[in-house]
Amino acid sequence: MEIIVLVKEVLDPDLPPSKFSVDTKNNRVIPPEGIPPVISPYDAVAIEAALRIKEEAGGRITVVSLGNPSAEAVVRKALAMGADAGIVVSDPSFDLEDSYLAAHILTQTIRKIGKYDLILCGRQAVDWDRGVTGPIMAEYLAVPVATLARAIKVSDRSVRVERVLADGHETLEMDLPAIITVSNEFGQARIPSAWGVIKAVKEEIPVWSAKDIGAEDAQNKDNPGEGRLRRLYIPSYERKCEFLTGERPEELAAALVKKIYSRETASP
Amino acid sequence: MTEKFDAIVVGGGPAGCASACVMAKSGLNVLLFERGQYAGAKNMWGGAFFGPQLKELFPNFREEAPVERFVTRHTFSFLTKKGSTTLDFKPAFSGPPSDNGFIVMRAKFDKWLAKKVEQAGAIVVTSMLVDDLLLDGGRVTGVRIGKEEFSSDAVILAEGVNGILAQKAGLCSGVSADNMKQGVKEVIALPKQTIEDRFNVNGSEGAAMEFVGSCTRGVPGGGFLYTNKESLSVGIVVELGALVKNRLKASDLLEEFKEYPDVARLIRGGKTVEYSAHLIPTGGLKMMPKLFSAGVLVAGDAAALVLGTGLILEGANFAMASGVAAAETVITAKKKNDFSETALRDYERLLREGFVLRDMHTFKETPRLLKNTRIYDLYPEVVFEVLENILENDGKPRTKAYKIAGKVIKTRVGFARLLSDLWAMRKMT
Amino acid sequence: MKVEEKLALNKYAPATQAHITVNKGLCADCDLRPCVYGCPADCFILKEDHVSFSYEGCLECGSCRIICPKGALQWAYPQGGFGICLQYG
Ligand SMILES: Cc1cc2nc3c(=O)[nH]c(=O)nc-3n(C[C@H](O)[C@H](O)[C@H](O)COP(=O)(O)OP(=O)(O)OC[C@H]3O[C@@H](n4cnc5c(N)ncnc54)[C@H](O)[C@@H]3O)c2cc1C
Ligand code: SF4
Ligand code: SF4
Repeated sequence: MEIIVLVKEVLDPDLPPSKFSVDTKNNRVIPPEGIPPVISPYDAVAIEAALRIKEEAGGRITVVSLGNPSAEAVVRKALAMGADAGIVVSDPSFDLEDSYLAAHILTQTIRKIGKYDLILCGRQAVDWDRGVTGPIMAEYLAVPVATLARAIKVSDRSVRVERVLADGHETLEMDLPAIITVSNEFGQARIPSAWGVIKAVKEEIPVWSAKDIGAEDAQNKDNPGEGRLRRLYIPSYERKCEFLTGERPEELAAALVKKIYSRETASP
Repeated sequence: MTEKFDAIVVGGGPAGCASACVMAKSGLNVLLFERGQYAGAKNMWGGAFFGPQLKELFPNFREEAPVERFVTRHTFSFLTKKGSTTLDFKPAFSGPPSDNGFIVMRAKFDKWLAKKVEQAGAIVVTSMLVDDLLLDGGRVTGVRIGKEEFSSDAVILAEGVNGILAQKAGLCSGVSADNMKQGVKEVIALPKQTIEDRFNVNGSEGAAMEFVGSCTRGVPGGGFLYTNKESLSVGIVVELGALVKNRLKASDLLEEFKEYPDVARLIRGGKTVEYSAHLIPTGGLKMMPKLFSAGVLVAGDAAALVLGTGLILEGANFAMASGVAAAETVITAKKKNDFSETALRDYERLLREGFVLRDMHTFKETPRLLKNTRIYDLYPEVVFEVLENILENDGKPRTKAYKIAGKVIKTRVGFARLLSDLWAMRKMT
Repeated sequence: MKVEEKLALNKYAPATQAHITVNKGLCADCDLRPCVYGCPADCFILKEDHVSFSYEGCLECGSCRIICPKGALQWAYPQGGFGICLQYG
């Protein structure tokens, strides 16, 4: 079983709000100095899924991260968890905020890798929470896709996936090769062992550029219609607390209803 | 896996990084474990490296290391409720930035140190807490993390002040709160220009400020304020035992410290961006654990190698120097392939020949003398009152300064007590 | 500024398991309760008749371990990578 796992480096989601800031002029998040990015937590679960599949069915896991050269660190973490090989895809010309473009670049990467049975990624990256890269790639590669997997069982040439639904789950079966996006319900990602880390330290991680994967034209491709980022800002919430006064519950209830109806925002 | 290492270092602070660096450079197969997500993630301090250790180990550190500012101005203030008296030490110099001290922030600096360790050829593994030592007939043979075991000829414990593993190995029998100081600190962000204007420093120049007196409400200790590039480190250091005996909290003392006019005007308009706390082993030689035994050496804070002269606190340079001495001992032991307790005795010899144990001996009475609470409540007031009387001009005929001093001392302290304190303090700094 | 507000500025990698546990039975006859004063992160709070403990804001200084007179604490650092994560230090 040849498994490819796509991982993305994101701002550490444990950052307290005070360390998070936005450059509103350039619609850009300013990364806090000195706090290294981490693997998007759902992607870590995808690595866990790959490792469990490998433990059961055997095979090889290749981890791919599209991003800045610093993504080497998250790839190394995946190797420490038990993946077999890693690749960073990075080029100054890539616009990393466009999901269609990212899917195109990753598709080119997959084509260069060549053989694969299963592509896994997290249900969504926790930075933009779009969750579309996997499905778009399925279109490009013309393979079946299942999103939000909470359980995966591979057999010879097919895979059975339990998908999380709002009110339960459903089970699908797809032919391989296929793409699966993994949800947190799958289980907890393992913490790398110390020996795993030591082994990973010595591993070579190649960095593939646009030229290496034949994606030089990626930037000129028309954006096929995804919404563009207009304005990035930190919303300000205002909380007001008012205590209504009254002797009896009926009085209080009446005052409350009056209050609610008097507010423009509340449309009863 | 069964790979065996020449040395395993526990802790990625100055002691651990220095030792791993020296051993790796000499060709040893070295593994360093750090429990933080990155080296420095768990470490805080007041502010400045003193002495030449850093330069000896990393000749290019000025260009490479994330130094916030170079100490070009060092002040010592006696705080009282009524006002303060300050000594402002500002040597005139020209040429390269001062060697008086280098202000760094540990989360950035230790990360850089760990990078140097990697470049020297050692393996640095972060996010790993060493749980235990492996023992074989009283001899340390490696470490354990969860269920994983790692064996090595030597283990260097550079785990910092709490010395958990040193205690597990029986090198240290536990510490008393009277030998520990607690430091709490806020990092307060301010624009670079504001800092330079307020502290009267330019470019990479910086100020280190120490305060003793009423800010610790009679608890041995003091306050500090260091200038970083774009922030200030403001904190309080207090003896833990006396603190809880007096039912005081360091966090409250810090809030009060920030309100002293001397401090308040310097931090005005700043925004607190981080709050941290850490212990300091200030018991001196008396609290020093056994420094080594078969297969294991203890360096830095874990060995209580900190010098608190009362004026400044030096630990990081002692940590580095002891880390280097431990490394050199292991390198020699490796050559002879002998890691017995007798073979590692070299470590203590090296520490004695260098400044670490020499200084610790020179100042061996200091920790006890610093417990004299008159230093923190009475004397700052006396100094202030003397100056207040000398400088006061209310139109009445003036008295000579020494007479004023005599009078204040007589009423506030008593000559006999002052003499005995001074006699004792001659050993102190 | 309250300690609680200061702690909210820090980055933590929250562990799901407590690294320090208190044997509350032993606290019952501890009258000085030094942990309440010695903890710089206010992890020990004096409630009417007992001391309540929460590990989440812990700054991992080790003070409580040293000052608890009853040996009521099982004290360890959090698992590697978890707990306080200083940006400046
Ligand atoms: C408030 C304050 C102000 C100070 N001011 C100064 C100053 O101005 N100048 C000065 O020279 N010194 C100062 N010091 C002292 C100085 O910080 C220390 O002496 C110095 O950091 C000691 O270095 P170390 O390497 O021995 O220990 P540490 O720097 O504490 O490093 C120990 C490392 O070990 C890691 N670790 C611990 N246990 C384990 C384990 N089981 N497994 C893996 N990793 C582990 C820790 O995470 C840490 O990174 C100050 C200290 C404080 C608290
Ligand atoms: S000091 Fe120890 S025994 Fe006393 S209240 Fe605190 S935890 Fe309990
Ligand atoms: S280790 Fe320090 S911060 Fe943590 S609970 Fe104990 S005293 Fe409080």
